[in-house]
Amino acid sequence: MQPLTTDEIRIVIAKGKFRDNLFKAVGIFCLAFALLVIVALIADMVIKGAERFTLDFFLNFASRRAAQAGILSAWVGSLLVMLVTALAAVPLGVAAGLYLEEYAKRNWLTNLIEINITNLAAVPSIVYGLLALGIFVYQFGFGQSILSAGLTLALLILPIIIVSTREAIRAIPAMIREGSMAVGATRWQTCRYHIIPYAMPGILTGVIIGLARAIGETAPIITIGALTFIAFLPPLPFTAAEGGATAGLFDWVMSPFTVMPIQIFNWTSRPDPAFEVNAAAAGFVLMAMVLSMNAVAIYLRYKMRKRIKW
Amino acid sequence: MSNHETPVLKAEARGLNFYYGEAQALKNINMPIYDKKVTALIGPSGCGKSTYLRSFNRMHDLYPGNRYEGEIRFFPDNTNLLGSDVDPIEVRMRVGMVFQKPNPFPKTIFENVAYGLRVRGENNKRVLEDKVEHALKSAAIWEEVKNRLQDQAPNLSGGQQQRLCIARALATDPELLLFDEPTSALDPIATGAIEELVHELKKRVTILIVTHNMQQAARVSDYTAYMFLGEMIEFGKTDQIFIKPQDKRTEDYITGRMG
Amino acid sequence: MNEKSHLSSQFDDELGRLRSHVLQMGGLVETQISAAIDAYSKGEVASVKHIVETDRKVNDLEIAIDDDCAHLIAKRQPAASDLRLVFGISKIVTDLERAGDEAKKIAKGVRRIYEAGQMPSQYGIGIRHIAEAALVMLRQALDAFARLDAALAVKVIQADVDVDTEFKSIMRQLITHMMEDPRTITTSIDIIWIARAVERIGDHAKNVAEHVVFIVEGRDIRHLPKENKESKE
Repeated sequence: MQPLTTDEIRIVIAKGKFRDNLFKAVGIFCLAFALLVIVALIADMVIKGAERFTLDFFLNFASRRAAQAGILSAWVGSLLVMLVTALAAVPLGVAAGLYLEEYAKRNWLTNLIEINITNLAAVPSIVYGLLALGIFVYQFGFGQSILSAGLTLALLILPIIIVSTREAIRAIPAMIREGSMAVGATRWQTCRYHIIPYAMPGILTGVIIGLARAIGETAPIITIGALTFIAFLPPLPFTAAEGGATAGLFDWVMSPFTVMPIQIFNWTSRPDPAFEVNAAAAGFVLMAMVLSMNAVAIYLRYKMRKRIKW
Repeated sequence: MSNHETPVLKAEARGLNFYYGEAQALKNINMPIYDKKVTALIGPSGCGKSTYLRSFNRMHDLYPGNRYEGEIRFFPDNTNLLGSDVDPIEVRMRVGMVFQKPNPFPKTIFENVAYGLRVRGENNKRVLEDKVEHALKSAAIWEEVKNRLQDQAPNLSGGQQQRLCIARALATDPELLLFDEPTSALDPIATGAIEELVHELKKRVTILIVTHNMQQAARVSDYTAYMFLGEMIEFGKTDQIFIKPQDKRTEDYITGRMG
Repeated sequence: MNEKSHLSSQFDDELGRLRSHVLQMGGLVETQISAAIDAYSKGEVASVKHIVETDRKVNDLEIAIDDDCAHLIAKRQPAASDLRLVFGISKIVTDLERAGDEAKKIAKGVRRIYEAGQMPSQYGIGIRHIAEAALVMLRQALDAFARLDAALAVKVIQADVDVDTEFKSIMRQLITHMMEDPRTITTSIDIIWIARAVERIGDHAKNVAEHVVFIVEGRDIRHLPKENKESKE
């Protein structure tokens, strides 16, 4: 083959560059489309719900009059349910992931378990709702409480936490593990001093992504019977409760509740168009909650990753 | 060449076979490791020298499907390191290891060296400080890090990291120290520092070192073993191996006639 | 010895060139010695100049070969058989160069004797004999080097004893001769110098052979008692 002349080389480069730019344009268009959708969505909610963004909206209970209705019980309920979910799902998920990565022998049983954890993540959320209705609400007698809802959502996000824990652990180089074992550490010492701390950013990210998913879930919460109209808060610990008694530390977990998505669902199904304003405003608040959780996840990951280098 | 003193045995491989699943990686290895001497393992990639080295601290036990046959006797107590009644953790408490790539933990310099002691349940601050200082001095890195013990270890240079890893292994006073190609990721200056250190360390600890660099084996070791395809082809004094090897295959490898 | 080639063909070339230079140098020294013997026995004073000139070439070769050895060690870090070869060559050239110097001494001695109008006396005839024996030793030592033949090298080492014995007997004869006829002392001393030079050539040939044994077998047999010099292989 004849070597190319300088001019020929320039023509070849120009052709390549043209394709480069073509793809760049297509890529920017696709990205812009996706961004536009989310911006439009948020803008729509902000515009529709603008008149409700007052302090009262956050501090009022639900009401029959749209202008006076607020989301107090909904956001408090959401936060409390998330608290229960996190407390239940994080230890379970992290321990399960740690066991699978660090302790379990590689055999057919482990493989079967692994496949089924992936399957678990694919189970429709309504099915979790049905399961929880049977087990938590009736069998264990937790009733239609924050506890039932929290545990249900914990089940829902457990696979996410297990998978992200395992991914985080797998990202730790084998030589760190070997370095620890080589000085005579046991598996648990290795996990405690190295694996868990180094996997923490990944685990936390998984937890927050899981919680962000859980906070928007509606179906299973409706299935276990969350109230749609509620005008009181769960009892604060050590405050006066009904009948002159004092509320215990954990009494709130057995309290009836509602959550943000249900409140929104409830308002959208009302005939009065004024409630659509409420729904849009509440939708925006929910969106803000999810986005800020994601932001926290990104921040934590960035901050902790910076400290850990191999 | 005044090697008239009789060397004392520190360890001895006897009829050692090793299998990764079905694949046999070591074939009937018999070899002495002499006390307070440096023994180098040389051979082409995949000859089993690292596999052999990692048998001494039961590193293979960390992964499923690995199997040993035969024994590695450890003296003076004549323990079989590969015995099924011997806990690999006990073995690793007596046999330290330094890896191919420096692998400091993403913790402070101090915690890296103190780790082996913490694992043994030592939490007394004064004891830890003393032993960490001693280990860092033995690893010839104390002067460079004494004012920054609370810095993150991964911020050190490659050569410093490797010496820190040596300090980490030394902190618990191992009887045998394994080096798995310790300088393959380092520049010549850092390599020279590690080689000098190996020479110092053999006064107090027995050393087994795998190296790809034949000249390094010639420089640092008292004894050299040449391995090929999982077999121990030749073992002898380093001087003898590099001037007049007995086996044609050793000769071919050492003179660069592989192929 | 190793017949397989190196991974680096350049290394092979360098070693090959080194060996052929040594043989070339050996060849020059051989011609020097045989020319010196001829000059002695036939009185060819004219060839003395040629011998001295050849010595300059030998010296240049010695320096060049030593330089090549140093470069090869620095660049290739030879080990085992390669190390012994380079190391051995570096010593062989020293002995070859000295053997060349001895040839030059013979030639100069011959010139002094003939220019003084003397003829080598009858007692000097024996010199031609040992000189040829020493030349054969050197030739065989170089053959042993070329073929890396340790057995031949050992033969050369053993032959040195005969040369030494013969040298001693020549000395005794010359001493007797000088006592009988003091007028021949000047010539006799020159002849002693020549005999001494021949004996030294034998020693150098022996040294070359010992280096060959080291190159081939890795045994350093210098200064060992005779019976231990036998080849092990």
